[in-house]
Amino acid sequence: MKHASIKAALRTAVWLAVLAAAAALFLPKYWLFLITAVFIVGVALQSLGIVTGRTGMISLCQMSFAGVGAWVTGYLNLYEVPGGLVVWVLLGGLAAVPVGIVIGLPALRLRGINLAIVTLGFAAAFDTILATITYPGQTTFTQVVRPALFESDKGYFLFIMLVYGLIAVALEFLSRSRLGASWLAVRHSERAAAAQGISIPMAKLSAFAISAFISGISGGLLAGYLGTLVAENFNMMQSLALFAVATMVGAHFTLGAIAGGLMITLFPELLRRIGLPQDVGNVFFALGAVQALSTGETISETWARLGSKLMPARLKGQKRSTATTTLAAPAVHAKGTALEVSGLTVRYANVVALDKVELSVPSRTVVGLIGPNGAGKSTTIDAITGFLPRYEGSVRLDGRPLEGLSATARARAGVRRSWQTTRIAPELRVGEYIRLAAGGIKPGEIEAVLEWFDCPSPETLIATVDAGTRRLIDVAGVVASRPPVLLLDEPAAGQSYAEALKLGERIAAIPEKFGSAVLLIEHDMDLVRRACSAITVFDFGRKIAHGAPDAVLGSVIVQKAYMGVELEEQAA
Amino acid sequence: MNSLLTSAVAGLSAGGAYAILGVCAIFNYRLVAVVNFTGAAIGAAGTFVMVALYEAGFPLAVDVVAGVAAGALAATLIGLVMTTWFAGSSASTKAAVTAALLVGIIAVGLRLTGGQHPHNFPEIVAGSAFRLAGVEVTRASVLTIAISVLFTVLTEMFLARTRMGLQLRALSQRPMAAELIGIRVKLLALCVWAVMGAVTSFALMVIAPLRSPDFMSISLLVVPALAAALIGAFTSFRAALVGGLMIGVIEGLASGLDAFSQYRGAIPFVVILAVLLWSQRGARWDEAR
Repeated sequence: MKHASIKAALRTAVWLAVLAAAAALFLPKYWLFLITAVFIVGVALQSLGIVTGRTGMISLCQMSFAGVGAWVTGYLNLYEVPGGLVVWVLLGGLAAVPVGIVIGLPALRLRGINLAIVTLGFAAAFDTILATITYPGQTTFTQVVRPALFESDKGYFLFIMLVYGLIAVALEFLSRSRLGASWLAVRHSERAAAAQGISIPMAKLSAFAISAFISGISGGLLAGYLGTLVAENFNMMQSLALFAVATMVGAHFTLGAIAGGLMITLFPELLRRIGLPQDVGNVFFALGAVQALSTGETISETWARLGSKLMPARLKGQKRSTATTTLAAPAVHAKGTALEVSGLTVRYANVVALDKVELSVPSRTVVGLIGPNGAGKSTTIDAITGFLPRYEGSVRLDGRPLEGLSATARARAGVRRSWQTTRIAPELRVGEYIRLAAGGIKPGEIEAVLEWFDCPSPETLIATVDAGTRRLIDVAGVVASRPPVLLLDEPAAGQSYAEALKLGERIAAIPEKFGSAVLLIEHDMDLVRRACSAITVFDFGRKIAHGAPDAVLGSVIVQKAYMGVELEEQAA
Repeated sequence: MNSLLTSAVAGLSAGGAYAILGVCAIFNYRLVAVVNFTGAAIGAAGTFVMVALYEAGFPLAVDVVAGVAAGALAATLIGLVMTTWFAGSSASTKAAVTAALLVGIIAVGLRLTGGQHPHNFPEIVAGSAFRLAGVEVTRASVLTIAISVLFTVLTEMFLARTRMGLQLRALSQRPMAAELIGIRVKLLALCVWAVMGAVTSFALMVIAPLRSPDFMSISLLVVPALAAALIGAFTSFRAALVGGLMIGVIEGLASGLDAFSQYRGAIPFVVILAVLLWSQRGARWDEAR
C-alpha cells in the first residue's frame, strides 16, 4: 500500500512539475496571471473535496474559511510580522482550523443536511462580520508583500504551483491512508464505520479541520495574488458557486480540482470575450451540478471511466502476485467464555423482539445462531455490538461487561461484526478496505488473508467486484482484525451452494487460524452443520434450543419452529 | 427601555416572515422530503414579478395575484426537477441539488432585476394597526404574523383531518409504497411545491419594503427560515412558528443596541448552532441493515 501511495504521489508531482514548467516557459504574461488563479481556486476546491467529496457532508461556507485565512494574512502583513507570506499563509490556515471545528461540532452525530444549514448560516454571519470589520489594509490600500524570491507574476505562479503540488501530494498520501479510507467509510455508512472501530466524530472533525486549514491557505494565497482584498471575495455566493463547481467536477480528484479551477477562472473570461454577462457562469455551474447529482457521476469520474476504456488491456488486469503468502500465527485471546449474553431483552415500543435470551460463545469455537425470520437474530447482534439505544440484560466480553460502551468502543474492545448487506464504500480498493477493517495490519498479511478467502487482489477497486464477493471481503476484513469475538450475519447470502460449503469450511477453521471465536447467523443448514460446534436456536425472541448441531437440528421443537413441521405429523 | 421595546416590536414583522418561511421549509420537508434551500429565492421571484408589474403601471391587486402565481409556478418548476430526477435520491443529495439550484436562481434573478439597482417597492399593507405600550405595531407585522399562524393551523388540520393530508403523509414517508397503492405521487408533490411557492411569495411581498430589497438579500432569507425550521426539528410547525418570531424579535433587539446592530446578520447562525448542539444528545444511526 505504501508503495502505491508513493507511486501515485510521484505521478502527481511529476505531472504538476511538467505543467508548471510548460506554463512558465510558453504562456504570455496575461495568461500566466490567469492560470495562477486557477490553482489558487484549485486549492480551495481540494479543501471542499475533503468534506463534501470524501466525507459526504455538504459544506456551503468554504470561502468563509478562506476569508479567515486571508484576513489573518492581511492582518499579519499590515503589522509586518516577521516571516513573510509563507509564515502568514500558514498561520492563516491554522486560524481557520478552530473555526472549522466549531462549525463541524454540530454535525458530529447528525447527518449531512444539518451541516449544510450550519455552514450556510456561518457564511451569512461571516459576510456581515467581514462587512463590518473590513479587510485589514482595505481602506489604506496596503498591498500584501510577496516573498522576495517569488515577487514577479511568473515567480508567484511558480510559488502557487509549489504550494498546490505540496497539498496535492499530501492529499494523495492522505486519501490512501486509514484516515482517508475512514472518511469514505463514514460517507457510505456510519454504522459500518463504527462497527470497524472508527470514531465517527473523529473522522468528521478531522475532515473538517484539515479542510478548513487548506481552505484558509487558499485565502492567504489569494491575498498574495491580488495584493488587496475586499469582503466580496469571500461572500456567500462565492461559497455556493464553489460548492456547485466542486459537485460538478468532483473536487476530491486531483484532475477535478484543476478542471474546476479552470472553469471558475476562465469561464468568466470566455464570457467576457464573447460579450455575455459573466454571471451566466453561475447558471452553468448550477446546471452542471444538478446534472452530476442526477447521474451520480462527476466529470472527473466520467473522464476516468472513458479513459480506462482507452487504456490497453494489459495495464488493466491486476494479476495476483504468484508468490505464496502465509498467514501469521493466530492471535492469543483469553480462554474460557469469550462472549456471554444473559437476560437480554429488547423492546421496540410494545413489541418484545428479544425476551430474556441467553447465549454464550466459548473462546476459539464457532457457535451457530439460527431461527426463522423475525426470531431476533440480527437484533441480538445489534444489541451486542452497541447499535441499539437501549436493552436490558448484560453482554460480557471475556468477563468484562460492555454496557455503557459505544458501538465504536465495543468494536475496539474486540467484538466485531459483518453485515447482511454490503456496506463497503465502492470507491475503496480491496486492500484499503482490509486495512480499514483491521487497523495496523501488515501488507503481507493483507495478501495472505485475501488469498485464504479467495478474494480479489488488494489493488482491485471494490466498485468492480460483484455483490457476493463484496460480502466475502466484508467477512475477510473482520477476520483479519483477529478480534476475540466475531459476529457473522448471514455471510453466505448471495453465494452459490458450492461457495457456501467452502465458506463453511473456512469459518470452521477461523478459531484455529486466527484465534477468534465466531457467532454465526445463517440460514444455510449445510454450512451451519459444517462450521459450528454448537447451535443456539431462537424463535419469536426466545431461546428454544441449544446444543450440539446434530442433536439440535434433529430435535422436534426446532424442526417445528424452522420448517413448520407439525408435531402430530412427526409422531405419525 | 422603551427604545428596546420599540426595536423588539420592529422585529416582529421580520419575525412573522421568518415564521412563514420556516413553516414552509417544514411543509416542504415533511411532505416531499426535501430540505429546500431555494424557498426564499422562489418567493423572491414572485415578489419581483409583482414589482415589475407595479412599475409597469398595473393596479396593485393584479400585481399581487400575478406575483403569487409566478411564485407558485417557479416552485412547481423546481418541484418538477426534484420529482423527475431525484425522487429516489437521499435527503442529502436533494439538499445538495437545491443548494446548487440556489446559485443559478440568484444569478438569473440578479441579472433580470438589475443587480443592486433599487426598485420601487409598493407597500401592500401600510400604516399602523394599533399601539402597544406606546409602540406602533404596523399592519405589515400583524398581517405576517396572522398569515403564519393561519398557515400553521390550516396545515396541521389539513394533514391530520383530510384524506389528501393522509395521502401526503404517506407520500413523504414511503413514496414508492404510496405510488403502489395508487396515490398520484407526482401530482401531489407538485401541488405541495406550488402551495409553498405561493405562500412564500406573498409573505416576502409584505416584508420586502422593510429589507434591502435586492434579489440576493431576499433569497438569503433562507438562512433564518432554516434556523426557524430547525427549532421545530423539521417536524413541529408550531415550534417553527414561535422560533421564527423569536429570531425576528432578537434581531430587532440587536439592531436597537449599538454594539450589536452591525452583527445582527449573525443571529440566525448562533441560533442554528445552539439548536443543533442541543438536539444531538444521544447517538443516531443511518438506516438499519
